[in-house]
Amino acid sequence: MSLVYLNNAATSYPKPECVTEIAVRKMNALPSGQFRSAGILDDGDVFTECRQRIGHIIGTAEADRIFFSSGATESLNAIFIGLGINATEIITTVTEHNSVLRPLYNLPDIKGEPVLLPCDACGRVDPERFEAEAKKGRTKALVLNHCSNVNGTIQDAGAFGEIAAKYGIFFILDASQSAGCIPVYADEWRVDALAFTGHKSMLGLQGTGGYYIRSGIPFQPMRYGGTGLDSSRIRYDDGVYEYETGTQNAMGIAALSEAAGYILDTGIENIADREHSIREYTKERLEAIPGVHIIPAADECGPVISLVSDMLTPSDLAYILQNSYEIVTRAGLMCAPLIHKYIGSGDNGTVRVSFSCFQTTDDIDRLAEALREIHDNNG
Amino acid sequence: MIITGRRKSLEACTEAGWDAFDILTREPLTDEDIESLRIAEGSFLYMRQLRKPFFKIESHNYIIKGVKGDPFFRFAVHRDHTDEVDKLIGALS
Repeated sequence: MSLVYLNNAATSYPKPECVTEIAVRKMNALPSGQFRSAGILDDGDVFTECRQRIGHIIGTAEADRIFFSSGATESLNAIFIGLGINATEIITTVTEHNSVLRPLYNLPDIKGEPVLLPCDACGRVDPERFEAEAKKGRTKALVLNHCSNVNGTIQDAGAFGEIAAKYGIFFILDASQSAGCIPVYADEWRVDALAFTGHKSMLGLQGTGGYYIRSGIPFQPMRYGGTGLDSSRIRYDDGVYEYETGTQNAMGIAALSEAAGYILDTGIENIADREHSIREYTKERLEAIPGVHIIPAADECGPVISLVSDMLTPSDLAYILQNSYEIVTRAGLMCAPLIHKYIGSGDNGTVRVSFSCFQTTDDIDRLAEALREIHDNNG
Repeated sequence: MIITGRRKSLEACTEAGWDAFDILTREPLTDEDIESLRIAEGSFLYMRQLRKPFFKIESHNYIIKGVKGDPFFRFAVHRDHTDEVDKLIGALS
């Protein structure tokens, strides 16, 4: 029996063939003496190419303001540190991932605690609640999770962006779960900073990702070090900073660029439609199984379904799916600890089923048959 | 049942705040092996009708679970009670 992989919200699998091919080719390429040994002489400037492609995916014309990192967590830390704002001046939501919550509650230079906006039973955050807080005049930044990694609910980023702009609040969008599979319009939505990861719906390698910072926003680097540019310079007294320090993950960025090209060639709308169809098919199949309950989500949602069982904890159900049926899901709180009490999933979290554009209905049929068998045979 | 080793589970997050180990066995687990695990105290669940039967022993401080036919079982334990792993392995030896 072949393995069914339904954990794409954690990391996508499989990758497009062109992505694995370029990663191997780059690994075998002779490093050049220039450009920080990135081995790019044969293929031109893959960094710029990657920035431009990602710019298209996240909807910004300022591709040169996209900086690479190891992923969304590093990106969000860099954004929070770089903006130099205290947590007490930040509004965020209960739908956030720990990549947002933990920096805000633990970074030594970010004082206090953020204001948390609640969500409804579908995971939706009301923009009017944000405006009510914004009116108090204490807020400098909003951090919004675009697409929940727990139940897939997509927030109305455009509405939040409009309010943020109205009150002069930095709008930071966490697009970890949406970039690559859901249309994102950073410029149109007036996003000031955006974090993305490379290995989820962007279909690249783990250890890649980045962030976008709108031009003109005062922003300090999280780290200083070698950049391959103007080595005579030691101090940045003029405030013109460099943000990509240390040797860059050239192989990962080449793979990310290839993946971004694949996404653009396929079309984000086409990917979104494909994954939405699979999600709807899954929902229909699983809703028919007694003892299985789908956690509600908004109509607008990404390629994720969370479920709970009448008879098994999420941890046990995922264990059985993996070890008895070779179906990989994810169980628990999904690193988003605050959303669960709002969507009714409780302390044990959920079993999450998450899709990629390569998912087939056969995969879903295998899942549905396994869940039915488990719940028909309740020992 | 002959235990050949233990390894820290990569899935400890599913039992938040607990440690988890996979206890490796020389042979695939049989019904007798599963029965022998019941020396550990706790409620016992055995879903023997499944394609690959699943079992779980659950007490306040630990959860033991696995699937018949696998050469390992999972021992998730509260961080203050990790000695329970050694106790069980000792008792089975």
